[in-house]
Amino acid sequence: MAVNQYLGEVLHRFDKVLEDPLEFIQQYKTENRVKVIGWLPADVPEELIHASGAIPFGIIGHSGGYSWADAHLQTWACSLVRGSLGLALQGKLAFLDGLIIPHICDTTRNLGGIWKHVRPLPWMENYLLPRQVDRPSARTYLTGELGRLKARLEQCTGREITARKLQESIALFNQNRVLLRRLWQWHVSHPGVIGNRVIYNIIKSAMVIPREEHNQLLMQLLETLDHMAGGEEVEEGCLRLVLSGKVWDPPEIMNILDKHGAVVMADDFTTGQRYLAGDAAETGDPMEALALRQINRIPFACFPTARYDRRSFLAELAGKNRAHGVLFLHLKYCEPENFDYPDMRAAVESAGFPSLRVETDVGNLSLGQLETRIEAFLEMLRGRGTE
Amino acid sequence: MTGRPPFVTADLLKKMMADYYARGNEARQRGVPVVWVTAVFPVEVVYAAGLFPYYPENFGAMAAARKVTDQLSRAAEAQGYSFDLCGYARCGLGDAYASEHPVGAIEKPDMVFCCNTQCGSLPKWFEAAGRFYQVPFFLLDSPMIQSTPTTLGRLYFIEQLKELIDFLEIRTGQTFDLDRLAEVMALSGEACRLWNSILDMAALSPAPFGFFDACYHMAPIVTLRGTREAVEYYRALKGELEERVAKGIPAISGERFKIYWDHIPVWPKLRWFADYFASRGALVAVSQYTHSWAWSFDPSRTLESLAENYTEAFINRGFEQRVQMKIDFMRKYKVDGFIFFSNRSCKPNSFGLYDKRNVVSRRTGLPGIVIEADMSDLRFFAEDQVKGKLDVFFHQLEQRIGGAGRQ
Repeated sequence: MAVNQYLGEVLHRFDKVLEDPLEFIQQYKTENRVKVIGWLPADVPEELIHASGAIPFGIIGHSGGYSWADAHLQTWACSLVRGSLGLALQGKLAFLDGLIIPHICDTTRNLGGIWKHVRPLPWMENYLLPRQVDRPSARTYLTGELGRLKARLEQCTGREITARKLQESIALFNQNRVLLRRLWQWHVSHPGVIGNRVIYNIIKSAMVIPREEHNQLLMQLLETLDHMAGGEEVEEGCLRLVLSGKVWDPPEIMNILDKHGAVVMADDFTTGQRYLAGDAAETGDPMEALALRQINRIPFACFPTARYDRRSFLAELAGKNRAHGVLFLHLKYCEPENFDYPDMRAAVESAGFPSLRVETDVGNLSLGQLETRIEAFLEMLRGRGTE
Repeated sequence: MTGRPPFVTADLLKKMMADYYARGNEARQRGVPVVWVTAVFPVEVVYAAGLFPYYPENFGAMAAARKVTDQLSRAAEAQGYSFDLCGYARCGLGDAYASEHPVGAIEKPDMVFCCNTQCGSLPKWFEAAGRFYQVPFFLLDSPMIQSTPTTLGRLYFIEQLKELIDFLEIRTGQTFDLDRLAEVMALSGEACRLWNSILDMAALSPAPFGFFDACYHMAPIVTLRGTREAVEYYRALKGELEERVAKGIPAISGERFKIYWDHIPVWPKLRWFADYFASRGALVAVSQYTHSWAWSFDPSRTLESLAENYTEAFINRGFEQRVQMKIDFMRKYKVDGFIFFSNRSCKPNSFGLYDKRNVVSRRTGLPGIVIEADMSDLRFFAEDQVKGKLDVFFHQLEQRIGGAGRQ
């Protein structure tokens, strides 16, 4: 089918990039002579980097090289951070013109100092996010902190970030989020057609491919999918899941879900719905707009908020999506998630949703055991569903 | 620590702490709110408001010292709390769920206040406790100071202190008295000044007082700073130490080395470490941990001064500043070597220590090691490994001074 073939081509482009994001971005940098500024999850305002004339590049879940970090960072730091530092230590991030590390936990808070000491980049900044987001002081402070980051970015790229430029960047990133959300909607209304792995890969590729191109690719993809919409049969008997955690890596988990007929309806990952939900205002003070978007993001373990309780949020998410169950993917050694878990589980289970928690490493994972556990969980859900 | 007469003030300490805990019960009966606070929290605000501050970290340390962390932790683990979490938090949460309370039940809060200058574990623990006890949680947020303190960070903290005061006024129905805060800060400052001068005595050779003594005598500076009792206590302790210096009673007999320790002690092995070092003729003279409470307040600038002190703690500083602070302590106390404790319960203290060890050795020429353990949970303590590392370290020290003792 021609449509399917075209679809395959677009999807291939996303996959190709993710096969080796470092290779992709370095080639892009050479060809386009632009600066590339790396960022670590989560919540770094890519719009600000873009408005400074640099390309934001997400260092997310690249596997391998963990032992490189052993001499600098204890083994009980999460694999996400150890893996990133490992990449730097191998010299694989030397092409970066800069790096932004957001302070979201104790590990990220300490990482910058170590990194700067062992593998300094020409420009390195911490993004000192407010950890309380409920009171007025947070907003004032965050606007100030964004202002500091903006000034530092201007020093890095030598280009002024005008309000107009920033508004244009915000509009570009909003467009990306709108398109990703449309794609997500398509995915949940046509479960199992493009698959979990594919959809999450597309979200991840947004953190790598320059946004102008990513938007083009998404538009082509959505056009193709809209042509398909009527003709395709919605797959019957799939299990609807809600996922929760910091990141959804390792990607193989999504293959496991695909293989066993489970479809992810919603999540709260910083590399998932938290990344694509909520836009920044395109009018008014753009710095205020970025601050407000940050403060109003969906709940996350690192920024407790009484306004928007994470436990009820997750239970409601499962309810709205008529989920069969909730799957927690927790990065091993992620303290914020470990603290949240018991009450999160209680909340979803008392709302009637069975749950499973698995501890993950972004690489080096014993996938066989993981698959067995997930499979058993899905079978249990299937059993319940047909009672 | 062997052979010297016990501290007269130790009895006073026991009585003071017993009185303090009794006041907690009394407060509850009188309807005075019990407020959970963290060790590095502007407790002066809580004392000034006439509320009872309770320190769950003390509870964690107590459980650790009595070697029951694993027992309490298992009660938390049974609820789904991972044993990778901070040991204090596992003790506190575990005790909330446990039916047996080997160190007495943790005090139930009416409000939980937390400052994240120290770490991100405390806010998550307190937030969970807030849900468990169904009481409000208030976080004083202190972003890291990368190099020098910024106006932005200071103003943010001051703004939050005002929010805290608003919060207290609404909850208690009482107008907050800033003059009373200044009085409490003056008392707090006086206790801190005395505490600092006591810690300084470890620089004498031989010293009458060392880190392990400080770990014992620190309870009032953490818990009761801001009260008259704390001032009186440290005045008495200082007097006793001066007397010991005059009489020539050292902390350890035959002091040959002074050691810098970073940071907190391994509570359930406190005696083991103290004995080991004493047997080596080594006085652990200084640690950033016990110096954490050596603040300096200016009661004429209440909120500003609180903001400066509580945000600028070493643990909230960048890599380079923290290295420099360690080196400054090492020089001031003229240590012969240093030991960094990579504490599985404490990421902010531990991450970066491997590189800091190398930097500090390079800059000071002092030998140093990193040991791996946990401040509270013996399941993460491998005695042979730790002892092996210490043996090598002392062998190195012996060689450096040719067995002749310090000059």
